[in-house]
Amino acid sequence: MFSKSAIKEIEEIRAKYPDSRSALLPALYIAQREYGWLTPEAMESVASALNIPSAIVKGVSTFYAMFKHKQMGRHLIQLCTNISCMILGAETLVDFLKNKYGLEEGGITPNGRFSLVIMECIGGCDVAPVMLVDNDFYGNLTEEKIENILGRYQ
Amino acid sequence: MITVTINGKEVRLEKPITIFEAAEMHGIKIPHFCYHPLLEKWGGCRMCLVEVEKMPKLQTSCTLYVTDGMVVKTESEEISKARKAMLEFLLINHPLDCPFCDKAGECDLQNSTTLYGASAGRFEEGKRRHPENINDPLIVRNMERCISCTRCVRMCDGVQGASAISMVNRSNKTFVEPFSGGRYNCEYCGNCLTVCPVGAIMSRLHRHAYRPWQMEEEVKTVCAYCGVGCSFVLQVRENNIVRIMPKPEVGINKGILCAKGYFGYGYIQSSKRLTSPLIKRGWKLEPTTWDEALTIVANRLTEIKKKFGGESIGGIASARCTNEDNYVFQKFVRACLGSNNIDSIVRTGFAVAQRYIEDVIGQGATANIISGIPHSEGIIVIGGDPTHINPVLGVQVREAFRRGAKVFAIGYNPGLERHRTHNISYYPFTESTLLSYLVSKLATIKELSGENKSFESKINNFKGATLKDVEKVCRINGSDLNRIIKELSSISSVSLIIGPDIVQRTDVRTNLFLLTAIAYMLNARIYLLAEKPNEQGVIDMGCLPDTLPGGRPLDIESFRKRDEELWGYEIPPKPGLTVFEMIEGANSGSLKALYIMGGNPLYNLPDNAFVKSSIQNLEFLVVQDIFLSETAEIADVVLPSLGWVEKEGTYTNLERRIQRLRKSLDRQGMEDWRILSEIGKKMGFKIQYDSSLDIMKEISTVSPLHSGLTYDDLDKGLDVWPYKGTPLRHKLGAGDWPLTKSWSPSGKEKLYLTIEKHMFLSGTMSRYSTALNSIYQEPCAKINNDVAERSGVKDGEMVTIKTEKAQIILPIKIDRNIPDFTVLLTNNFIEKGAMGLIPYKIDPITKTPAIDGCEIKILKREYE
Repeated sequence: MFSKSAIKEIEEIRAKYPDSRSALLPALYIAQREYGWLTPEAMESVASALNIPSAIVKGVSTFYAMFKHKQMGRHLIQLCTNISCMILGAETLVDFLKNKYGLEEGGITPNGRFSLVIMECIGGCDVAPVMLVDNDFYGNLTEEKIENILGRYQ
Repeated sequence: MITVTINGKEVRLEKPITIFEAAEMHGIKIPHFCYHPLLEKWGGCRMCLVEVEKMPKLQTSCTLYVTDGMVVKTESEEISKARKAMLEFLLINHPLDCPFCDKAGECDLQNSTTLYGASAGRFEEGKRRHPENINDPLIVRNMERCISCTRCVRMCDGVQGASAISMVNRSNKTFVEPFSGGRYNCEYCGNCLTVCPVGAIMSRLHRHAYRPWQMEEEVKTVCAYCGVGCSFVLQVRENNIVRIMPKPEVGINKGILCAKGYFGYGYIQSSKRLTSPLIKRGWKLEPTTWDEALTIVANRLTEIKKKFGGESIGGIASARCTNEDNYVFQKFVRACLGSNNIDSIVRTGFAVAQRYIEDVIGQGATANIISGIPHSEGIIVIGGDPTHINPVLGVQVREAFRRGAKVFAIGYNPGLERHRTHNISYYPFTESTLLSYLVSKLATIKELSGENKSFESKINNFKGATLKDVEKVCRINGSDLNRIIKELSSISSVSLIIGPDIVQRTDVRTNLFLLTAIAYMLNARIYLLAEKPNEQGVIDMGCLPDTLPGGRPLDIESFRKRDEELWGYEIPPKPGLTVFEMIEGANSGSLKALYIMGGNPLYNLPDNAFVKSSIQNLEFLVVQDIFLSETAEIADVVLPSLGWVEKEGTYTNLERRIQRLRKSLDRQGMEDWRILSEIGKKMGFKIQYDSSLDIMKEISTVSPLHSGLTYDDLDKGLDVWPYKGTPLRHKLGAGDWPLTKSWSPSGKEKLYLTIEKHMFLSGTMSRYSTALNSIYQEPCAKINNDVAERSGVKDGEMVTIKTEKAQIILPIKIDRNIPDFTVLLTNNFIEKGAMGLIPYKIDPITKTPAIDGCEIKILKREYE
């Protein structure tokens, strides 16, 4: 079950809408934050907090890419490999993450610290190659820079 | 008037409907997948594309409404090309496994593909695989065959209201799934199976057992589980029910069914059915011939009648038997046995309530059409969950809620959890206090119509509970309640749905007075929920100790004389015993013999130890049934009868509609009425009939309510009350019976037993359905988290459930929605019946049992 503060948060969101289904997406974000990923238990907690059928919660959450349905690392690396980033060497960075951290696309490091998602353009072509770690944006990436940045996320 | 030209044919329409519907009305077929008459329009499959003049592109005919002067073409080269292209897309991932798909032969996808020819696709990427899911006991999902038309999801979400499945994932990995991904946790209504156009969602009960074109017979008949009386088509092959096919165009249910109706038919072919008559020799029941069994029954009954008089013999009729059976039964008891001791288990639910309401409001007050419920603006639900007792009626309540009706759910209604405006829950069994406040409050707001002055003065003089009492006894927030009552009083079109729980109370008289008062003040349509298919029929056929067929009172001589003349036999003038008086009579020794037709009182009446010892006290007990029930086990003679698909007849449903059962299986044996007339013959009475048609003829002359009614009339739709007959005329009564002081819990908080009426179960019958047993596998004691914490028990733990009468061992199941201070038990499993735990307490006036206030203890079991 959710922590007391999470339930309070969901209730506050719920109060903003006439229909509880409207609060589903924000509630799923909270569930993902609380559980790390959307475990069946997390989805059921959302269903019972909002009084929405759990099948509906599952249907909605599996539609969106930002909701994860498998174990994720503590920190999520989202690396772009679209044209600008690719030209400026994003693919070597993918190999670097694999060799250095054992991190494959869609995978998770053995110690559960990071998981990697290769994502489509995040609008940072001017400073390509770019990535997001959790909600922080980083550009002009090189191998040393990545190592440096990731060192800050334990 | 709208004029539209479809394929060169001019079509005139009163009101705008979609092109698809207009075409269908005039016999023009348009291929489609996502359209279904029961569902919300979606326009997703793109198969029903048509050409509309002056519109630039092809249009989906299922979502486009006709306008005046529209010119539509449903077939053209361009349309064919578009449809072929759509099919090619749909078949990219389709396994094309028609040779072993059960749907083949009646599959929309197969038919369309044959028509437009797209079987050879141009995609070379290979098909995605997704293994068939057989984790569920009843439903197989083969998502490779799914075409994502979402019919099942729209059915589950938008019609049934269960929302148990949804479209999961996206793009070409979109599948229909329940939450678990495997086993369903749903109402098992089977309606998703009904609407699936392909072989993606199928029933396991007849998996790989048939081909649609091999069916030998299709019989339209009525479901025998509950009082709604849903129609469906039975498909029969080699004297076996292969499957049940609900049809949108057939019956009051319009193609909607529930778990019992859709999956529960298997009991009729159970190997445990009785095959030959049994008689007791020594301590054992042994098979015998029909002739011997019937002779023994006739001789023993004649003997007892001669020795002790007719009033020493009783008969218990059954709401599972047809009108014809029940009519012959009461005639048999009255004419042959010379007794008015005839009653049925309907006393514990329907009968008393209906009589009281009709007395005050008028005859036919409960004859309201179920399809009217969604048109109400307000719905009050009390005394039982309609979605569990009468599931298809419950679906109508949900539909009303979706249409904006206010649903006031009083008590424990788990099925309306997401379909109610107000949930009024109270301390167990204190509803009469709540209702009494509601009535006195409404009386101050509502103006009375003046229709029944004496009842109005009773309402005006009634002193209900004060708000303080309600807050204290029922534990309801007073200001909330006042707000709800104010809202309720402003609604003009109200349906009042009354469940059987309200009758099984110490305060039964007060409850019925209060509910009638509410219905009277709000001018509400009343629906009485019926657990059994023919509760109304039992009453109408005169299976009551003081009523003759057609609802005519026995103590009015002219009615009795009229029936005596028509029958040619005498009817005793004195009203007989009710079912509980018969049990007490058996106990005291004044009742010597009992004839039970299709009933299991040993199991369905409270305190089964007392009932059993009473019945064992009888000199002679005959039980007529299709299974060896608990009661049959202690009988002197057991006579096997025919089940619902093995005979012709009629049922009268809870809206008083008479519907026909049709014979679809052959089985050796006799119908209930035929057994009775054979015994009558051996006793020297002439109550012989050739067929159920013959009996209906007699009913239509004897019962003024059914006068002139024939089976043909029923087929033509003359099936709604008051048919062609005349209802009883009487002055509206004042509803005078002494009210009881409302029951209020005494002392400290306790746990109380409540009987669960689950939608998967229905007592003796559902026990023998392997399908229903696979989804409600074992009896359990359901409690909420608070009770579990206080009793110190865990989910799944085996505990002893103890009342002052008896105890049983059951596993605990924790469900957070169950009200506090409540232990929910079912009465559907062998040797685990909850009714037997309840003390025997009968209301002296209504003769109904009170099963409330039964204290219960949960005892932990000690292990070494």
